[in-house]
Amino acid sequence: MEKFAVLQAGASIPERVWIPTDMQLRQYAEASGDYNPIHLDEKFAQQVGLGGVIAHGMLTMAQVGAMLTQWLNGEGSISQFEVRFQNMVRPGDTIHCTGVIKEKLANAVVCDVKALNQKSMEIIAGSAVITFKD
Amino acid sequence: MINKDAIGRESEVMTTRVEAENVRRFAEAIGIPYVGEVPPTFIITFRGGTVPGLDLPEKGLIHGGQKFTYYRPIKVGDVLNYKRRVKNIYERAGKLGKMTFVVQEMEGRSATGDLVFTATSTLIAREEG
Repeated sequence: MEKFAVLQAGASIPERVWIPTDMQLRQYAEASGDYNPIHLDEKFAQQVGLGGVIAHGMLTMAQVGAMLTQWLNGEGSISQFEVRFQNMVRPGDTIHCTGVIKEKLANAVVCDVKALNQKSMEIIAGSAVITFKD
Repeated sequence: MINKDAIGRESEVMTTRVEAENVRRFAEAIGIPYVGEVPPTFIITFRGGTVPGLDLPEKGLIHGGQKFTYYRPIKVGDVLNYKRRVKNIYERAGKLGKMTFVVQEMEGRSATGDLVFTATSTLIAREEG
């Protein structure tokens, strides 16, 4: 990424595109310890009225986190990261993670972040504060 | 109905060591290469630490929001002590009927007692009928 000195309010963070699969939900369940059947069992997810399995909200948040860390490439560290979960993600969806620098502080930037699906529905929205060393 | 008496109550303190192997599996599950960094949402893998008297329904629980604050980056090899606390329980009438919001905060400290992170999760329970 650019050095902190050249970052400006209004600048965009390079987008991350993510297409979840059933296999990834299984892999994430094992890595995170969240085995809720709404993410793993199609029949169960249908029975509880979800119309099929949905991705873990935390897996979508992790995609936004991945967008941030790949952009930072070790230059700064995330000191705050916050999202609201607004819509569901299903295997096969195309999720676009985006971010924009909202405010530049003495040694930090405040970013607005979001994830949208292929229908431009907001999946999550939130913010991140990234701190840079002097 | 979730018991509001649980507000302010804390779990026991749990201890974990951030193992490279667990971080690598977590990074790979997200779909990013593991380069020794701990992904910002890794804290969610810290299980256990149940608040006594907080009876969350097993079904129909929705994750409404999540916030992480890091006082320093978490590194592989860190030994962290963490506990959960119920910050708030409140009800709202929504489109889908009455909803109960449960806000829990997890606090993580180093072995020497320095605050390393807080993680606040908002869970939403829908009342049947």
